[in-house]
Amino acid sequence: MHAFYAFGLIILIAFLGSRFAFRRRSQLSPLNFILLSGIVYLFLGLYLGEMGSGILSEKALADLSPIINFSLGWIGFLFGFQLEHRYLRRFPKNYLGLSLFQSLSVILFGFFGSLFALWILLPATGGATRIGMAVAFGLLISLNSPTLLNAAAFSMQKKGRYYYLARFLVSVSGFWALLGLSVVTSFWHFPVTDSRSFGQGSALMLISTAFPVLLGWMFHLLTRHKTPEPDLLVYLLGLVFFVSGASFTFHFPPLYVCMVLGITFSNLTKKQENIYRLLLSTEKPLYIILLILIGALWKFNFGYEIALMVGILILVRGLGYALSFPVFEKLFGFQWKLPPKFGLSFLSFGGIGVAFAVSLHQIYSLPESDYFLSAALLAIFLSEILSPAALRILLSRIDSEEWE
Amino acid sequence: MIPAAVVFILMFLLKSGWLAPYGDWGQSTPLALGFILIFAALFGKQVSRLKLPQITGFIVAGILCGPYVLKFLSITDVQNLQLFDGLALSLIALTAGGEMRIPQLRGSLKAIGTMVFSQTLAIMAGFMLLGWLGRSFLPYFSGMTPGQSLAYAVLLGTLATATSPSTTIAVIMETKAAGRCTDLILSAAVVKDFIVIMLFAFSLSLAESLLSPELGMNLGSVLHVLEDIGGSILIGLAVGGGIILYLKFIRREMAIFILSIAFFTYQITHGFGFHPLLICLIAGFLVQNMSAQGDSLIQEIEKISLPVYVVFFAISGASLDLGALKAGWLFALIYVVWRGILKFVGTYWGSRWSGQNREMQRFGWAGFISQAGVALGMAIIIENEFPSWGGEFKTMVLAVIAVNQIIGPVLLQKLLVKVGEVGKKFTVNSISRFSYSGGEAASPEK
Repeated sequence: MHAFYAFGLIILIAFLGSRFAFRRRSQLSPLNFILLSGIVYLFLGLYLGEMGSGILSEKALADLSPIINFSLGWIGFLFGFQLEHRYLRRFPKNYLGLSLFQSLSVILFGFFGSLFALWILLPATGGATRIGMAVAFGLLISLNSPTLLNAAAFSMQKKGRYYYLARFLVSVSGFWALLGLSVVTSFWHFPVTDSRSFGQGSALMLISTAFPVLLGWMFHLLTRHKTPEPDLLVYLLGLVFFVSGASFTFHFPPLYVCMVLGITFSNLTKKQENIYRLLLSTEKPLYIILLILIGALWKFNFGYEIALMVGILILVRGLGYALSFPVFEKLFGFQWKLPPKFGLSFLSFGGIGVAFAVSLHQIYSLPESDYFLSAALLAIFLSEILSPAALRILLSRIDSEEWE
Repeated sequence: MIPAAVVFILMFLLKSGWLAPYGDWGQSTPLALGFILIFAALFGKQVSRLKLPQITGFIVAGILCGPYVLKFLSITDVQNLQLFDGLALSLIALTAGGEMRIPQLRGSLKAIGTMVFSQTLAIMAGFMLLGWLGRSFLPYFSGMTPGQSLAYAVLLGTLATATSPSTTIAVIMETKAAGRCTDLILSAAVVKDFIVIMLFAFSLSLAESLLSPELGMNLGSVLHVLEDIGGSILIGLAVGGGIILYLKFIRREMAIFILSIAFFTYQITHGFGFHPLLICLIAGFLVQNMSAQGDSLIQEIEKISLPVYVVFFAISGASLDLGALKAGWLFALIYVVWRGILKFVGTYWGSRWSGQNREMQRFGWAGFISQAGVALGMAIIIENEFPSWGGEFKTMVLAVIAVNQIIGPVLLQKLLVKVGEVGKKFTVNSISRFSYSGGEAASPEK
């Protein structure tokens, strides 16, 4: 199929999907949550791609790759834009420390777990690449999404201190993971995947951070006075395209670079409301388009290596969250006791997990990249199925007033 | 100024010999798009401070950063970004159709007809004269038989008749101009587009019969054009009907809806040989005049169209072949000046016959100088139809378009300032509340 017709088909699905999907339902079943999280579009994409019906050919997908690139940048910007100091400081200070240590512990669990698994499953892979992949898997499993928590709060019509703590942690976890992503792509910078020296890696990381900071500041200069909405749209689109395009051209993840752009701008500007309106109006259709394209790109191969890796990822993720909270609760001196299975509220990956996985897949044209993407997407899918049940177990064990 | 400089320096660094070897430039289209979007928009703002239209800034930014000057955009980038052409042209045509209101047209139908007729007549006659006389003193025509020079002249005249409605609309939108002169220029530019398309079919057939007398006049191609136009009108009515129903009953996800309609209407119908501009124009016209949703449509388009226009005009600048301008500058200069003179003659008489005011008679020609997509499209068809000399012809036409597209918007803006119609259109809603009364009713003072 010609790229243009392929694009037409995807737009049509995105248009209909954003009208009818993503609706919160009062009953939070796995099926409802799969519909709500949009993961179903990943499989629709898989069906439309070369692995399925072949409607979206490889040529068409290659022509549409700038859209994937832009969508990743857009998601990164949207994510970074939410990390506004004025919003974050409303939460107790120890939440931020807890978030860092919780993410670090899950990353470490994931790193060692997947390093061990890769050592057994992919013995031919080079040492540096294997370590890089293990770091990437570790970072991936530290990602969470607030979608499930919001859906639970909606179905229960209740929001309390546990909810807000969990909401904070899932919102901020992406920051640490994306920071880690920049470490991976700087120190294992494609096409030289052997780890670079500390100086070279640090220099690359500095460049990939300073570039969006400079442009974020520039965006602020442009919009600090009264700016008509069409002009705002031009600058916003232009910057996200420019930053994500530059990062992709130089093998950096648009997700991280655009997140830094979003953080810089949201902490300088006073136009949050206007920007949010623009960002949110495009969020759903763009997300559906991204999921369909990722699904179509996905070279799905399900063997025992992938099944084992998926199992290990889900296991170490669960362990990482379950074991870390009791330790950190004491370390950070919480005045109220966390429920014993509080970690169960963090099983959902959400869209950021998918974006993270595909971001790495886009940058690294390596034989192992398809393996990484398959394992990552299947782990995400399974987690999305399990996470509503896990949350239900947690809620049944705690006093509902504490969640309120 | 600082943001434009920052973006420019960053792009310069990325493309410099220092960093460029580390980049994967086969995938640089998003980078090129982002850069040209910001840089052209900021450059346009700077240019508007010099009392010039922003779109001149977009075009000049495109030329500067394009593959023929600074090479920030490669030829592949420009080709990839020409995907925006269809989208922009459709949005422009939808807007143009939506801005044409029946009461307003009814009042100026005679003026539009007279203006289009007199301009077309003056230009065709003038270029035939140039072709006839030019054989003795213009190197371009030397060595041609009378039939050949007439064929050339007819085609040149047809191309010279074309004006760019997209540029005209963009300048009018940017300057928020409204009034009698604005309406006349806009309507005449749009109507002339149809006339030129039909005239081109006749000219092409005539040129073929003059250059290859054994083939004779091909009336089939003329009928085919008429069929295409009829089909386009029907499709336009269907698209317009669809838009009315959507705006009336659903009216959600408007940005995606409008962009999809514009993009796919262009791509699909263009592929089948119909005229997407005409289709979108009819659709916009129908929505405006047969429903209560016309102003909503215009408002929604205005919200989302600026990024598309910035890229469209910047890329049209970047794709101008400056090498062609260098090679054929002398004939291009003669062509541009002669066309300007003929436009003046045609507009002067057209304005006089239709009873326009003195300003329009003297300066109205300045509103019809810009040239873009239609002229270029015709040049490409000529290149394909006459491979032996069509390439050289197209190169010369490209040079002419380059000049006209740079000076055209500036002249139009000066005209709108001269006739005092700039800034008269303050909101879409405010205009719709008034019936047409020469534009004065829409002024903020009232």
